[in-house]
Amino acid sequence: MVSGARDCRAPPERASFGAVTDSPSAASGAFASDPRARLVAALVGTGDEDRSAFRDLYALTSAKLFGICYRICGERQAAEDVLHDVYLTIWKRAGAYEPHRASPITWLATIARNRAIDWRRAQAVRRSSPIEDAPPILDEAPLASETMLADEASHLLHGCLDGLEENQRAAIRTAFFDGVTYAELAERQNVPLGTMKSWVRRGLARLKACLEG
Amino acid sequence: MSEDTALDDAPDMAAAELALGLLDGEERASALRRMLAEHGFAQEVERWRAHLAQLFDLWPAMDAPPGVLGRIERSIDGSDVAPTATVPAKRSLFWPAAAGLSSVAAAAMLVVIVMRPIAVPGPASQPVPPIAAARASMLVASIDRGKAGAPVTAVYDPNSSDLRLTPAVLADSDRSAELWVIAGDGVPHSLGLLKTSGASSFKVNRDNRARLAAGATLAVSIEPIGGSPTGLPTGPVVAKGVLSQV
Repeated sequence: MVSGARDCRAPPERASFGAVTDSPSAASGAFASDPRARLVAALVGTGDEDRSAFRDLYALTSAKLFGICYRICGERQAAEDVLHDVYLTIWKRAGAYEPHRASPITWLATIARNRAIDWRRAQAVRRSSPIEDAPPILDEAPLASETMLADEASHLLHGCLDGLEENQRAAIRTAFFDGVTYAELAERQNVPLGTMKSWVRRGLARLKACLEG
Repeated sequence: MSEDTALDDAPDMAAAELALGLLDGEERASALRRMLAEHGFAQEVERWRAHLAQLFDLWPAMDAPPGVLGRIERSIDGSDVAPTATVPAKRSLFWPAAAGLSSVAAAAMLVVIVMRPIAVPGPASQPVPPIAAARASMLVASIDRGKAGAPVTAVYDPNSSDLRLTPAVLADSDRSAELWVIAGDGVPHSLGLLKTSGASSFKVNRDNRARLAAGATLAVSIEPIGGSPTGLPTGPVVAKGVLSQV
């Protein structure tokens, strides 16, 4: 079955939007009055090659980024190696981060997802099923008060995904969270490749109409 | 139902498919070519990425294993050669090289794109250029000239610090076209002058290497011959584009 199927129940109302949490342990030093401001400061400081800012950045974000690497890579050692690579990349590129253009956690999470997908695509053997022991994808975004708020996002995407047919929504979510291609999606669902493409394309077209509507 | 029948009337959603990471092989190569050739397509991919980023909220955190930060810092200090050097498993020693292959494939494709007309699809079996150690992802920007002409494509290889631009005449003969990068500090930093004929290529210095990353803006201004006398753009900006990862 598609791993996204168990995650498809998004609530009709969302208490927060664009919010990203950290794990309790990693966030333990992060209860500043404004977690996002602290994250931006850590990222900008990292761009200035400030090592203590980089450590703060790691404390604030490593659990989130490791969760991303682990789910996509599917094994701890690979996820750890990719995480290492991700933070080296962040160290080198943080100088180019523009606070006014992108949410910091989105910027960081995108690097982690891309790196993990690069690793996954380089593997000769495909995993035909999702890994068993990854924590499930959340049903709803955490409360804004507990998170590093991302101001550019809204609940729009979540609401629009709710409007799709089940097979469309599950496939799109699985592609995002598991980092898989059409070929793997079709294999997991045991449907012809063309059928899977057709589901997803129609789903994406509806999503686009909803997002732009 | 045959595959063709199923897809006959499915809409073209290549921008979303590329942003989601659904494509591989020739379909991915084709979408990447469109990203370079069609400004609107590139913008559409960026819009999808921004929308999809909302899903990061739902991704559960997991504590990273202890000791990773220390190893990362040793790598930064240069005392730990590579992320995987400390990992004894054969598999783990193998993967960085393997991961490099996809970058090489992407790079090979980009070389094909840059060296010849974009409309001509490159066969998948192009010879791989000698950058087998490549690990960081290539960055590209479509530098939009508005009505003045087709966009200029910039390709940056972080592994070699080479930045290349497709041929374009942006300044008349008594002025120079100067290329700038605008990153986190919002200040333009000069990358150099564009050639008046043929493709331009730059070896990027250390300070500007940190600025050339996804999201940074490349802009071209018209300056006196020899470039801006002030270190900042003094003439009109005639073209600009945003770097993104491929």
